[in-house]
This record gives sequence, structure tokens and C-alpha cells, in this order.
Amino acid sequence: MMTQVAVERRPATGMTAPRITGETVLWLVLAVFITVVTIVPLLYTIDSAFYQETPFGLSPRRSLTAIVNVYTSARYLSYLGAALLLAGIVTTIALAMGILMAFLVARTDIRGGRALDIVIIMPLFLSPFTGLIAWIVLGSENTGFVNALLGAGAARLGFDLGPVINIWSYAGIVWVMSLFFTPFAYLFTVNNLRAMDSSLEEAARMNGATPLQAIMKVTVPIMTPAFFAAGLLIFVLSAEVYTIPGIIGSTTGFTTLPWQIYIDSTVAPLHRAHAAAAGTVMLWITVGGVIIQRRITRVAERFVTVGGKGQRAKPIALGRWRAPALAFVLAYGFCAVLLPLVALLVFSLMKYSSVSFSADLFTTKHYVDLFSIGNTRLALQNTLMLGLLSGAVCMVAGTLISYMEMRRKTVLASIVAFIGVLPVAVPGLVYGIGLLWTYLRTPIYGTVWILLLAYIAKFIPYAIVVSRSGILQINRELEESARMSGASSLTALRRITMPILKPTLAAIFFFVMLMSIKELSASVLLASQRGPVLSVLTWSYMESGNFQFAAAVGVVQSMIMVALVVITRLAFRVNLEKALAKG
Amino acid sequence: MRFKALMACLGAVASAFAAGQATGQTLSQADEAKLYEAARKEGQIVWYEAAPIEPMQELVNRFSKKYPGIEVQLLRITGPQQYQRFMQETEAGQHIADLLLLSDQPLTRDLAERGHLAKWRVPTHDRVPEPFRIGEFAYAPYTTDIAIVYNTNKVSEEEAKILASSWKGVLDPRFKGRFAIVKRKCGSCYAPIHMFLDEKFKAEYGEPFLRAVAAQKPLIYSDNPIALDRIVAGERDFVFWLWEAIAVTKWQQGAPIRWVRPTPTPEWGNSWQAVSAHAPHPNAARLMQNWLMSEEGAIALQAAYGSSTVLTGVQDSRPVTKEPWHKPIAQRYDMDWDRWEKNYESDMTLWQKIQDTSR
Repeated sequence: MMTQVAVERRPATGMTAPRITGETVLWLVLAVFITVVTIVPLLYTIDSAFYQETPFGLSPRRSLTAIVNVYTSARYLSYLGAALLLAGIVTTIALAMGILMAFLVARTDIRGGRALDIVIIMPLFLSPFTGLIAWIVLGSENTGFVNALLGAGAARLGFDLGPVINIWSYAGIVWVMSLFFTPFAYLFTVNNLRAMDSSLEEAARMNGATPLQAIMKVTVPIMTPAFFAAGLLIFVLSAEVYTIPGIIGSTTGFTTLPWQIYIDSTVAPLHRAHAAAAGTVMLWITVGGVIIQRRITRVAERFVTVGGKGQRAKPIALGRWRAPALAFVLAYGFCAVLLPLVALLVFSLMKYSSVSFSADLFTTKHYVDLFSIGNTRLALQNTLMLGLLSGAVCMVAGTLISYMEMRRKTVLASIVAFIGVLPVAVPGLVYGIGLLWTYLRTPIYGTVWILLLAYIAKFIPYAIVVSRSGILQINRELEESARMSGASSLTALRRITMPILKPTLAAIFFFVMLMSIKELSASVLLASQRGPVLSVLTWSYMESGNFQFAAAVGVVQSMIMVALVVITRLAFRVNLEKALAKG
Repeated sequence: MRFKALMACLGAVASAFAAGQATGQTLSQADEAKLYEAARKEGQIVWYEAAPIEPMQELVNRFSKKYPGIEVQLLRITGPQQYQRFMQETEAGQHIADLLLLSDQPLTRDLAERGHLAKWRVPTHDRVPEPFRIGEFAYAPYTTDIAIVYNTNKVSEEEAKILASSWKGVLDPRFKGRFAIVKRKCGSCYAPIHMFLDEKFKAEYGEPFLRAVAAQKPLIYSDNPIALDRIVAGERDFVFWLWEAIAVTKWQQGAPIRWVRPTPTPEWGNSWQAVSAHAPHPNAARLMQNWLMSEEGAIALQAAYGSSTVLTGVQDSRPVTKEPWHKPIAQRYDMDWDRWEKNYESDMTLWQKIQDTSR
């Protein structure tokens, strides 16, 4: 056993001019590609905020009206406030639940061990939008399955229970969003908790601290960067969601900025300049968050763990809390996975929405249609192909960008890495308009490939952020040894770094693939008759009023995600839950 | 090589001739075979449409059965988004769409005025009533009419009669807190507001009526299909207005719903069918436009979508019309399109503000 030592690494001084090597050329190509793919649409997006509006779109005349309106009017600022408050609440709850479950799984003697990983990350296979359909079915005040079943049970016992839950409320919005963002908090913290050396905690315990005091005084401070990274990601993602707060929020008089962006960019009269201006507000918020995160990472980077693995902690004995702890994790899995999936499945087999179950209510028509209509078959193929390709491209490009940023430390590398993460900030709908303008005059417009570029642009930030933390954990001396033995930088990267990074690479691939399959907001604007995808199809059927068909597509979409993960897991021999957690 | 090039040129000339013919104003019966032949050579139609996918796909299937060899690609994009996309593509020289089914009269009129719609007089032109056509540029294939849709397990026959008696029936105290409304800006969302705020109805309805509706504490949904789904499920008893076709689809599936249409009933052409002036497949587009506006197309549309055709002389063959509870529209309210265009945003903003007071 080697002792963990915290050493302060000397910060890199000055800039180093890159040598023209194969690695540099490859990286330059990638940098140009990513810059074009992410920055040009971003510039188009920002630019469109500076035009006058007509009832049907943008006029050619420049104007600051939209910017002034969005940045100064009480109306838009209240929408922003509502979005930030909601994102703050969701982030807090998701972090609390995710970190608690991560702690239980990583640091205690909870039953179930690694199997619980799967339970907790399963909601990733359900898009929040599909989850919303499920929870409308489950949690509507008068006709939700949950209320109906509980009501029927209570009636048998001779009393009137009344509605127990009502999803059409602010609490309903928070509930649905928190359930679906909790896995992010879990994934981004569980491995850090597993890897954390327990000697410091044990030292605190030996000095008289209670287990809770040791956790609060030792574990929490050490884990702060990981908690912050998870929190930032959840905050940004939840602040961008428009479907859940928009659809449920209408009944409670609640409007968020992303929903207003959706209304401004899709409903007549259009206010596209306002939508773009509101998109820039979200951009600044995330830029701020990214800068803070980078500072925290930099501070953390100064204290790296050297030597071998630290001392694995002896699991904390939960004692009489063991059963409740397991019940808590399983209850989460029940609410976030089992209930919604069962509800979706039942709902997708209905002719129309009802809580009066009878044999003639059910049909397999939606599934027959799904596989017999040419458009849906094509959507299935496209979704699969785009998920795999965007996962692969982001994995390679994101890792190389992070690698250059972390290892070469040039100003240009830092700038490209910074630029690469910016699209995460812009709501998909607004960014979609920028992407549309970017490719409108190119041959890829109207093809399925525009979606691939959109997904790369939208999800490369995750690849950069996740690969950065992976590379951070690799001792650079290993590469330097290879270089001293005559290997080129590319060879060292290929033979040394990449194999060590395999779990991280797999994590990025899985994550981007899942996100691409679920992506809706930019896809809605960019999908063409030649390139339909499942998420847009679900949305279209829901907008057409066929919720049952939309649910069937949602079920198939979830099954595809599970199947892809299983196949890739077998092919690459990497556990998704482990890989994602490592990432 | 030269021979091939010559043949290619001749082919192009022949195609241009056919397209030129197609851009003419009329098409005789005898020309249909020629048009189909030219359409078959083009082999494809791209149809941007705003109606629900399934019924439109059904129409496509029927068209394809009658005219084999022409593939119809469908892309559902709703009103203003479709307009935006079509305009952006047109301005960028990306001519993709052949046919448009656009859900807004002013938007369609704007496209015609800008020269983006082909002037194409369908053979049934004279059978389309004047309010349902924009010159020879666009036709509304079916009517949209406003209805109060209710769940039959929740609303008694007596209560349905109260709702049917007048638009003011909804103000009956027994309905307080039992119904839903929709907070959305769209043609169907606006049409009744347009009527209630009409000068000639201001004394009877006007803003006070809208405030009285809000005072009934309805539940507000974000969109029409969600409201309908929740009424079908029984979450609320009725929705204070949707349009008939959306309800017909659910009724045909067996959902426990019916609807009433108080007098006068807003009935207008909300969806407009037009051929793009830049259609890459002009002959195929015109062939389909003709078929959609034909008697056969009208019957197919009624069967697939559940809305009644505008074509005079075509019987309303929808099964729902045979139901004893289904009453025909007694008096139609026509839209004033200039006032619509002028007041749409301010009226809808007013209505949404009033809605907010209901909570």
C-alpha cells in the first residue's frame, strides 16, 4: 500500500509553440472542424437577435429592440427568474438524491452493490419528454393511474381517499425533472466516492469525529469539485428543458424562459429575434458556470494523487439503516423507471386515454403501425445510425481536444476547448435556428447529415468535459516514457493514453449516443422528410393528439437505447454504469 | 455520347414543356393522362403539411394507389414554422417542397403575394366556395369549425343542451371548475375570440364575456391535443372549444366524447393547400393538388381526417353525421381576414391575460 500524498504541482509557465507533427496536424484539422461546427451556428444564433421582427419572422433591418426587451423587461426577466429558480430546485434535489445514493453504493455496506448502479442509471434510457407522458398518465389529479388505483383500493376499504398526487402542479414539474436528472448527479460522483482514499476520513474518526462529522468535514470538501461539476451540468440541462415546465406549467400559470423561447420561435406571430436574444441570456449564465468550473478544476488539478491506489475504505456499516437505505434506492428506481415504463407500455396499448380498463380498450395497432409505416422505419434506422456516429465522433474529437488542452497547454488549445463547450449553453431550439442558417446553402441541408453535425455540436461539450477529467487522472510520465523511448506523440497517444482512457472513452460514447437518441429541440427544426428521427416523430404524434402512438415510439426508443448499451457492452466489454461513473 | 447528350436535352425540353403546360391556368380532362405521365417521370412529391400525420399518410396511400410510380414524402411542420422554413429555403435557393398544406390563411396569402405559390386552377375550382380559396393560388380542402367537446361520462344530456344553446351556456354556475381551456396562439384558438370581439357581437359577448369565462375557473392546458386527451380521459368534463375534426378522430376510435356547436359557429378554411412556385416536381405536385381537391380526394379526406370537405356537391359521408346527437351547423360565422391580420396578436394577448386571472 502506498500512501497518498498531496503535492502542489508547479503551474505551467508561459506558452510553448507547437511543433508541426502528425499530432499537431490532426489536432488542427479537428480544431477547425469543431470551431466551424460549433462557432458558426452560435454566431448565427447571436446575430439573429439583432433584427427587427415581422409577424412572420425576421425583417432584413437591424434592431436592438429584442435585446433591450429581453434584457430589461420585467416579463422576460421574470421568465428567466422562474427558469433559474426551477433549475436551482431541481439541481438541489437531484444532487441530494444522486449524491446520497452514490454515497450509499460507494461507501456503505448497502445490499445490492453494483446491481444498484443499473437501477439508478436506468432513467437515462427514458427521455424526460417520454417520462412526462408517463407521469401525465400516472399522476393526473382525477384520472392518473396512481390516484385511480389508490382510490379503488381505498373504496374497497370503505373510504374516499381523493387525489393523492397531482402532476399538474409546480411540485409535479419538480418531481418529474428531479427524477430524470438524479442519475447525472449519481454518475458524476459515485466513482470519485469509490476512488477516494479513506485514510483522511479514518484519521478524523480516530480523532473523535462522528461518522457524520467525518463526512461533512473531510469527504464533502474533497468531493466539492465533483459535486460542483455534476450540479453545473444538471443546472444547465434543467434550465434548458422547455417541454416539462411548459406543458405542465400552463395549468399553474408558470412560464420559464425556455418555454417562452419555444413559443417565440414556433407560434404565430413569431418573435425569433426575441428567442435568439433569450438564448444569449442562457449562454452568459453557462459561460459563467463553465469559467467557475474550470477554476475549481484547476485548483483541484494542483493537488493530484501520486503513487498507486489509496487505501480502500472499509464500508461504513449502516446497521439498522441498511434496510431503509436499500428501500430508498429501490423506491427511486420504482418511481423513475418501473412506474413510468409500465405506464408507458400500458398507455401505448390503448386506443385512447382512459382509466376504465376493458378488453376493447386495448390494441396493438400502434406497434404494428410503427413498424409498417415507411417513415417510422426510416426514423428507427436514422436514430440508430446518428446515435452511433455522433457518439463515435464526439468521443474521438472531444478526447483529442481535451488531450491537447491538458497536455500541450497552448493558448490556442485552451481557446478551442473553451469554444467547444459553449453550445451546451444555448437552448436547442435557438441553436437549431443557427444550425439551420449555417447549412441552409450547403448540400447537406435537407439530409440526415445535418442532424449529425447538430448532435456533434450540441454534445461535444460533454465529450470535452468528461474526457478532461479522465485525462487528468493519467500520469503524464507514462506518455513521456514512451516518447523518450522513441515513440511519436501520436503513437504514445494511441498506445498509452487511449488504452488507459478506454472506460472514459466508452463513457463518452454511451453518453453522447443516449443524448443524441433523445435530442428533440434542435432535431425538430432540422429534421427533413429524408431524415426523420424517433424523437421528432414522438413529438409530432403528440402534437397531432396521438399520445398512445407517441408512447409506443417512446417505448421503442427506450428499448433501442437499452439494446445499444447491451450490444456495445458486449462488443467493448465495458460496463456502462462503470464506464459512465468513471467518466 | 453526343446522342446521349442530345436525348438528355430533348428530355429536358419535353419536361420543361410539360411543366410549362402545368403552370397554365386550366387542365382539361384529356390532359390528366399527360400530366400523370409527366408526374411519373418526376417520380416524387415532397409535401410539407401541418395536419396530423396519420390521416395525411392515409391520403398519401390512397393517392399512391391511384397513381403508382410517384413517391410522396411527407414532412409535418406546423403553421408559422412551415412558413419560415419554406421562406428560408426559397430565399436560399433550396427548393425542396412541392406542395404545402399551411395552417393559416394570412401566411398563405402572404406567400401568394410574394410570388412563391404557383397559380394553378384545379378542375374543381368552381365547386370551391369563395371563402375557401385564395385566387387560384391556394384552396382550403376542408373546413375547420369550432366545437365544445365533452366527455359523455361526465356531462349529462341536459347539461349538453345548455352548452349547445348558446356560447354563454358555459357560464352556467354548474360548470364552474369543471372544464378546460387552452392557452395557445393558433388559428383555431383565435377564431372564436375573433367572433366574440366582433363589433356586431360586442354587446352580447365582447371582453366581459371572456372575463366571465375565466371567472368560471377553468383548467388551462398548453395545447389543444393535450386538452382533448385529458377530456377523453375524464380529467375535466369538457373543453371550451376545439375544432370538430380533432374530436372526430378520437370519437372514431371509440372515445366517450361528443360535441356541440353553438350558433353562430366559426367555420373557415384554416388549412390551405398550394403548389410551390419553385416545386422541383411541378407536374407531380399539380397532379396531387388536383386529386386532393377532387371529389375522390374530398371523400378520402373526410374518411381519413374526419373534417368535412368544402367541395359543393359532395355528400358529408362521415359516420358521425349519422349520429342523432350530431347537429349540422345552423349558422356559419365568416372570418374578416383583414381584421384577423390586424388584431390577431392584440386580441390573443388580451385573452391570455384574461386567462391568467382565472387562477
